[in-house]
Amino acid sequence: MILFKNVHKEYPRTGYALQDVSFHLRKGEFTFVTGPSGAGKTTLVKLVTMEERPTAGTVRISGYASDKIKTREIPALRRRLGIVFQDFRLLKNRTARENVAFALEVTGASAEQINPKVLRTLAAVGLSDKADHLPSELSGGEQQRVAIARALVNDPFILLADEPTGNLDPKVALDILRVFKDINLRGMAVLLVTHDRTLLGEHPRARIIELDQGRIVRDTANGEAAG
Amino acid sequence: MAYTSREALFAFRRSPLLTSLSIATIAFALYTLSVFGLVWRNIDRVLADVEERVEVIAYLVDGTDPTETSALMREVAAYPEVDSIAYLSKEDALARARAELSDYSALYEDLESNPLPASVEIALKSGYRDAADVDDVATRIARFAFVEDIKYGEDWVQKLDFLQNLSLFLGLVVGGVFAVIAFVAIGATINIVLISREDEIAIMKMVGATRSFIARPLVIEGFIKGVLGAVIALVLLTFTYSLLEQRVVSLSFYSPLQVAGGILLGGALGAVASIVTLRRHLATW
Repeated sequence: MILFKNVHKEYPRTGYALQDVSFHLRKGEFTFVTGPSGAGKTTLVKLVTMEERPTAGTVRISGYASDKIKTREIPALRRRLGIVFQDFRLLKNRTARENVAFALEVTGASAEQINPKVLRTLAAVGLSDKADHLPSELSGGEQQRVAIARALVNDPFILLADEPTGNLDPKVALDILRVFKDINLRGMAVLLVTHDRTLLGEHPRARIIELDQGRIVRDTANGEAAG
Repeated sequence: MAYTSREALFAFRRSPLLTSLSIATIAFALYTLSVFGLVWRNIDRVLADVEERVEVIAYLVDGTDPTETSALMREVAAYPEVDSIAYLSKEDALARARAELSDYSALYEDLESNPLPASVEIALKSGYRDAADVDDVATRIARFAFVEDIKYGEDWVQKLDFLQNLSLFLGLVVGGVFAVIAFVAIGATINIVLISREDEIAIMKMVGATRSFIARPLVIEGFIKGVLGAVIALVLLTFTYSLLEQRVVSLSFYSPLQVAGGILLGGALGAVASIVTLRRHLATW
């Protein structure tokens, strides 16, 4: 699935962002990656999406290795990842339905394939009645649900979320966490990056990987006590 | 396909000024090239025609012994450059002058003696019609003592030659400069599109769009601009052509195949300019 093996990432100007990071995410697992800002969380996400390659060590994502993957293979990898960001990243001039359809359009899917799939996915995140709204007509929580639907519509093997609740108030943040938990219950792996420790308490059975200054300081999968 | 065609039209609305500039520069590039090309083409036609008639004329001293004349003709006919040779007597020369210059026939009416010399007209084979060969043949014939004068159309053949090369050179230089400007303008338009859609392209990369998926509408857009530019150039050229045709001289125009080729050339110019710009922008993923 996802395997980090002794991964180091150094940026020319800012120095080490990650040092000797190793972990293995298994199928269907719900994992939090947490830590203070500057701990290397976003770098970790970029290594999973192959936007960045490690300075040393290897990252393996579903059969693709960071030291072997070619640029032209990256789109195929991205289609197997569902990615959600803090700032939603929706196309402002397109409706919820069109934003979700966009992820299928780029794969070359036909309109007949796209429409039912988009409506099904919007229903799964509870937005059937807002399908024809523009992002500006939706609340922050609803916009993030659209983004999650877009991430899900290509049937990825993992949902990757970088601070998905960062722009939302606490109550809405918990709603969104519930959406991720629902999705996970249906068997999809979730990797949720957050600095918000209250979220961790809402899902006690999840695995927690804690980063600090580029190193893993805690991984509950390694038998360390949670909390 | 719906996506591609929708996106291809986007830039036209997004930056009409730069889009118009791109089309206009392509139009000027192709117009300049095609005008000089037309000049080249027509000079070439005239030259081919003239070359057919390139001949060396040797005027003979009055009273030259006919046996000497036939000796000269036998010898010259054996030159490898020579295609045919013909003798024109004084009388024939006068008859021809009267026929060709009928407006001035009065001049020849009451001549006491025939002022025109007898001559030998030598036509050259097609491989030997350039200035150097003609000159060489003329020099050899000039060695016969009874050859009074030699004429050949070297001067204006050379002038036309020069004009033809000049038109080719000017066409390539001026057309080339416009082509470079067109290249830069198209690149700049695409830069603007890419910058204005940075967010969208980031999303496309994130959801797994391939490079060609992102690039295709922009390349098609470049191609359309090139074709539009070429069509404008064709309209301008047709106008210029008919103006010259009516007022100055009869000309030959490009064949339909060449016109189609020119339009495709415009499209290719636009597409290649787009690809070059995109390669820089879509290098990272």
